[in-house]
Amino acid sequence: MKNYYLNRICLALILMCSFSCTSDLDFNQASDLKLTPVIVGNFSHFDIPASAFIAPDGSEYDLAFDDEEFDVFRDKYFKSYLQRADFYFEINNTINRAFKFTIVLSDSNNNPLTTIKFDIPAYSGSANTITRIEIFQNARLDLLKRATKMGFLIEKAPGPALNQNSPGSLVLRSSATVYLTI
Amino acid sequence: MRKGFLFLLVFISISCFSQNKQILYNLTSVPQSLMTNPGADFKYRYYFGVPLLSGMSFKVGSSGFSTYDLFANDGVNFNQKLRNAVYSTNRNDHLAINEQIEIFNGGIKLGDWLEDKGYLSFGMYQEFDFWSYMPKDVVVLALDGNQNYIGKSFNLSDLSAKAEMLSVLHVGYHKNVSEKLIVGARGKIYFSGFNATSTRNSGYIVTRPSNTTMYEQIISSDLELRTSGISKYTADNYNGDVATDVRKQLLFGGDLGLGFDLGFTYYPKKNTQITASILDVGFIRHTKDVENFTYKGYYKYEGINPGFTDLDDPGSVYSDFQDAVKSDTLYNKYTTWRPIKLNASYQYSYGISTEEDCVCTAMEKRYKNAVGAQLFMMSTPRLPITALTGFYQRNFSDKLQLKATYTLDSYSYTNIGLGLSANLGLFNMYFMADNLLAYRDVSKAKSLSFQFGFNFIFKDSNEPPY
Repeated sequence: MKNYYLNRICLALILMCSFSCTSDLDFNQASDLKLTPVIVGNFSHFDIPASAFIAPDGSEYDLAFDDEEFDVFRDKYFKSYLQRADFYFEINNTINRAFKFTIVLSDSNNNPLTTIKFDIPAYSGSANTITRIEIFQNARLDLLKRATKMGFLIEKAPGPALNQNSPGSLVLRSSATVYLTI
Repeated sequence: MRKGFLFLLVFISISCFSQNKQILYNLTSVPQSLMTNPGADFKYRYYFGVPLLSGMSFKVGSSGFSTYDLFANDGVNFNQKLRNAVYSTNRNDHLAINEQIEIFNGGIKLGDWLEDKGYLSFGMYQEFDFWSYMPKDVVVLALDGNQNYIGKSFNLSDLSAKAEMLSVLHVGYHKNVSEKLIVGARGKIYFSGFNATSTRNSGYIVTRPSNTTMYEQIISSDLELRTSGISKYTADNYNGDVATDVRKQLLFGGDLGLGFDLGFTYYPKKNTQITASILDVGFIRHTKDVENFTYKGYYKYEGINPGFTDLDDPGSVYSDFQDAVKSDTLYNKYTTWRPIKLNASYQYSYGISTEEDCVCTAMEKRYKNAVGAQLFMMSTPRLPITALTGFYQRNFSDKLQLKATYTLDSYSYTNIGLGLSANLGLFNMYFMADNLLAYRDVSKAKSLSFQFGFNFIFKDSNEPPY
C-alpha cells in the first residue's frame, strides 16, 4: 500500500520533470544592449536691460563680452557617449536698437573652433523673438568636443541713442538636447 | 556603465521573491520545520541531518518579468524587449535571491521516555540573501533620458538594495507546557561573511519649465552604500581567492550578530491546530573592514551663463557640480537588522488513520487529512510583503506525508506547490517545489523554488527504550 503510493508519486514527479520545457532563449542578445538616452538641459541664459549698455558717465558701451569655461563635456565617458547635440536659441529683444550676437567656442589655446551668429533687429513695438536650432554632429560635433571656452559677444548696431531710462531688455534663453549612445 | 546595467539585468532576470517556505511550514514529519517554527509539534528521541545535505533551499524568480520576456529568441530587438519589460514594472517590484544550506543539524529529547523536559535542536546553516527593489526611475532615466519627462521628478529613493552572506549558529528548545500548548524558542548567532546595504537613499532629479532660464533643473542627492567585508577584495593589491576568503570570513573573521525565533503550536481541540512563529528578530553589528560610500548634495543647473558686468567669473559647470554634489568614503561602523519573518497557520484535521502498523508516537491519534490556511509576512526596506496559502495535507501512512499548497501573493495567483516527506526506516527525505504550473515552460516562470534534505530520525515513543 505504502509503496504503491510512493511509486505513483515518484512517477508523477518524474513525468512532471520530463514534460517541463523551456522556450528558445538567446542570452547572447545581452551584447546588443544599447542605451540611447536623450537629455535636455539649460544651455545658456542672459537678461540684459537697456540701461546696462550705459556707462556711469552716461556714454554708451558699443559691445559686451564675456568668456565662460565650457566644460560640460569634460567627463571622458560622457564625451565618448555623445552622438549629437542640438542647441536651441530663443532671443527676445525689446530694446529700440539692433544687435549682433556671437557665440564663439574655442579650444584651450584660444583658437576659435565654431561660431554661432545672430542678427537681432531693433524693437519696433511688435513681437521681436528670434529662434534657431544649431545641430552639432559628425565633424562639427568633434569641434564641440574639443571646445573648452565659450565666448559671448554682443555688438550694438548704430541707432537711436540709449540712456539710463531707456526701456526694454535683450533676453537669451537657450537649451541643449544631447543624444547619447552608451 | 553598460557592464553595470547588464549586471542589474542579470539580477532582474534570475531574481526571486520572498523567503516564504509555505510547504515546509508546519510539515512536522520533517525536522527542518523547526526552522520555520521553533514551537512546531515535532517530537523525536533524537535526529541528525546528513551533513551539508540535511536542508537545502533555493528560490529564484522575478516579480517584474521573466527570463523569456528578455531573452526570447523571437526576432524582436533586445533593447525593445528591455524597454517593454522595464515599463511593465513598478518601483515596488522587487528582485531577490535567497539560498540556505544546512551545514549540520540535529536534535535530542531531554529527559528519559517518561519525562517531558522538552526537546533541544541545534545546527548551523549558511545563507545568502539579495534584495533589490526595481530602481524604475533610475533605469528609465538611463534608457530614455529626460527629454520626454519634462516636469517629472525622478525619484532616487527607488534605489534600494542589499546583499549579504552569513552563517547562522543556532540552538532551539521546545516543550509541551500543557497538553494543548507547545512553545519554542531559538537563539541565533550570526557570522557575517559580507554585507552591502543601500536602502536609505533619497533625492530626485527634475527638469521643469522655467520663466527665466529654459528649464529649472535640480539634482538633489542623498545616496549611501554601506559595506563590510568587501573592501579588501576590491583593493588593487588583493590577489587571493574570493570564494575561499569569504568562506573563512563566514566563520572566523567576520562581524557578529544576535537574534532569536519564537513560536507556538496550540490545540484548542484535538483536531484543530493554531500555530505562529516570528523568525530572525536580530541584528548584525558591522565593525570590520567597513567602507561606506556617500553621494550627497544639491545642485541647481542654470546653464553656461555670461556675466557681462563681472570682471572675472572663475566658476564652471563641472567644478560647481562637483563642489555641490560630493562623493565621499567613510569608515563608520553600522548595524543591520535581519528581515523579520512572521508565519501563522490554522489547521483542521479529519479522518483518523486505522492502519494496523501505525506506530503510535507522542500524538495519540494521527489524522489522515488536514486542511488549513497559512499567512506569511516579511519585513522589507519598505512595506512588508504578505502571502496567503491554502493547503491540504495527507498522511498516507506514518511513513509518507504529502502536502499540496496554493499560494496567493503579489507575484502570482497560480502558485501550486507540492511537498513530500518519506521515512524509510530511520532515514527521512523530503522534496518540495512550488509554482509547479510554471514547469510547462520554465523560461516564462517568474518564480521557482525548491527545497530538499535528508535526515535520520529516531522517533519519540511512549515505550521504554529497552
